[in-house]
Amino acid sequence: MVKRTSALSDALQLAWVRLRRSLTTILLTAFGLVAAWALLNLVIGGQCDGKCVVDALAQTLRVATPIAFAAFCGVLCERAGVVDIGIEGKMLMAAMAAYSVNLFGFQLLQDALGPVAAGNVSRWLALVMAVASALLLAGLHAVFSIRFKSDQIISGTVINILAIGITGYMYRAFLAENLPAGPGTFPLVPIPLLAEIPVLGPILFHQKPLTYLMLALAVGIYWMLFYTQWGLRVRAVGEHPRAADTLGIDVLRTRYINTLLGGVVAGLGGAWFTLEAVDVFSPLMTNGLGFIGLAAMIFGKWNPFGALLGALLFGLGNSVTATVSIFRPDIPSQIPQMLPYLLTIIVLTGVVGRAVAPAADGQPYEKS
Amino acid sequence: MRNRFLIVLTLLVLVSLVVAACAAPGGGTSAKKKIGLVTDVGGVNDKSFNQSAWAGVQKAVKEFGWEAKFIESKQPTDYEKNIDQFATEKYDVIVTVGFMMGDATAIKAKQYPNIKFAIIDYDYWPTKDSQICPETVKNCYDDGGLKNVTSLMFQEDQVGFLAGVLAGGMTKTGTICSVAGMEIPPVVRFVVGYQNGAKWIKPDVKTLNVYIPSFVDTPKGKETGQSMIGQGCDVVFGVGGNTGNGGLLAAKEKGLMAIGVDVDQYLTYPEVKDALLSSAAKNVDAAVYEYLKAVNNNTDKAGVFTANLQNDGVGLAPFHDWDSKIPQSVKDKIKQATEELKSGKLATGYKP
Repeated sequence: MVKRTSALSDALQLAWVRLRRSLTTILLTAFGLVAAWALLNLVIGGQCDGKCVVDALAQTLRVATPIAFAAFCGVLCERAGVVDIGIEGKMLMAAMAAYSVNLFGFQLLQDALGPVAAGNVSRWLALVMAVASALLLAGLHAVFSIRFKSDQIISGTVINILAIGITGYMYRAFLAENLPAGPGTFPLVPIPLLAEIPVLGPILFHQKPLTYLMLALAVGIYWMLFYTQWGLRVRAVGEHPRAADTLGIDVLRTRYINTLLGGVVAGLGGAWFTLEAVDVFSPLMTNGLGFIGLAAMIFGKWNPFGALLGALLFGLGNSVTATVSIFRPDIPSQIPQMLPYLLTIIVLTGVVGRAVAPAADGQPYEKS
Repeated sequence: MRNRFLIVLTLLVLVSLVVAACAAPGGGTSAKKKIGLVTDVGGVNDKSFNQSAWAGVQKAVKEFGWEAKFIESKQPTDYEKNIDQFATEKYDVIVTVGFMMGDATAIKAKQYPNIKFAIIDYDYWPTKDSQICPETVKNCYDDGGLKNVTSLMFQEDQVGFLAGVLAGGMTKTGTICSVAGMEIPPVVRFVVGYQNGAKWIKPDVKTLNVYIPSFVDTPKGKETGQSMIGQGCDVVFGVGGNTGNGGLLAAKEKGLMAIGVDVDQYLTYPEVKDALLSSAAKNVDAAVYEYLKAVNNNTDKAGVFTANLQNDGVGLAPFHDWDSKIPQSVKDKIKQATEELKSGKLATGYKP
């Protein structure tokens, strides 16, 4: 009985320490945001009114979505000790799979179901296929890096190049010309009541489904990693696989599962491009966001909330760039374009401090 | 052992991919001329000027019985090695598409003086500290040593001006905007012409523009378009490959108006045809074809060839579905601007 209370108080204390730490982060972030906002308004001469701010913040969340998915994929893989730089490739593949399934599925279903229902069915089908295609590449990466213990950077690079090759070929062969009209992207799904809240409503609750899913995943992955037995095991495998092994945790199995889960999340991120952002596919359209997701993961110290924050920061940089470019055409365009990167560097060096990767990150595990 | 096997396997996969990606141009008889086209990163199906250039090459090849291949550049570091690839295969003419390839083309043209080069959107003039064309010369083409280079230039500002007249005439909110790609001269010419054209027909019009440092980022183009639509813009001009296409998508989604670029995008990009008023077309295919025809007749010359309104090298594409919805007064203004630009009475306001 005594033991249990002390365990409880330990847990409470831990929670308090964590809360205090995250409170500091939140306060610092808020301060940074206000400072950035004041500075921005000086630059653009107060031309961005209330609606413009809300638009920019809603855009921040939209732009952050694929980056956050990529970062979550990184978190899931690396917490188990597998480095995955093939996120970009997985997203590109998923984007293409989603686009083509959405388009051609719609054509097949249109007669049977009518355009509205066919659009809905084909979009969800496309989402599933996007996840499946990314899962396939994740499986390849898992087999390379876990079973064959190859260098994980090389394996990830191969996946990136493979995805560029396959999607480029498929695009030229099937998706470049003479396409039928598609069903379009997911419609906006305003959440009833919540979307009516001033300021917060349009930003958080007037978005498309994958954006909500991304927010839910942040909470879900955090809870899974830090509050469940499964999460404890994953982290043990990522920090000290041998110790985990002696305790009877199947290291290789854990790594397989996490790499595949990462693939699922990356697939959702890829689907964002063609099912939520635009209803076209073009080669190389992921445009490096997978790598920026990795940066967000490091920024967030391999924690899903931190990673989300990193993604949001980058998204904010993007919105600010657009806003400054619009209102101050006299400033050379390269200067606002630097902002997201500049902001990332400043925050990385000034606020985040040292980020330490899981100890066994990138090391193949050999059972002795 | 297994590890080594895997490394070898990985390398093999890599090599095969690189080979496949470069699509090594095959040999052929020496009697036929061989034409090589190096695209910019947009690729040959970019629904825009790379595609148009390749169409011009194909037309010439069909007519003169030559053969042709293209190589797509995946990143700027590919430019020189893609040109090298055609050069080592003894191609007779190499067409390089786009301003971004300016330096690579000049360097390689000096390296292979017996191959003819044609570059789209880049003209060479002496500049300070330039590697490719020193200040000491008067003319980069003859005394600068680029005797084998023909530059195919377009007066984008003229057709941009006409697009601006159209936009300024059609806007209901009094705000027009453009989603532009990288800030390079051909893009800037389009944008400056567009804004001045709108101001010419409607002096109090508000013009917005954002340059995005990429030609492949459709989602970002769309986001940027949405931002400007949020500021009241109701005619979006997309100038910049797939990035600009994002701007067109944003306009279509909101049921507003859009203007395409480079080719008649009503035909190449039917996704946005409901919103598309017209396109500011530059006839890259015609310019490339005319150049190759000159090569066939041995009348081609090094130097700059400028396509403009006067020689029908640029122009507004048909209005298609919008034809009945565009008031006659706006059409008349476009006609007037065309005539005055041709005669030199009206200037687009672009200064290099």
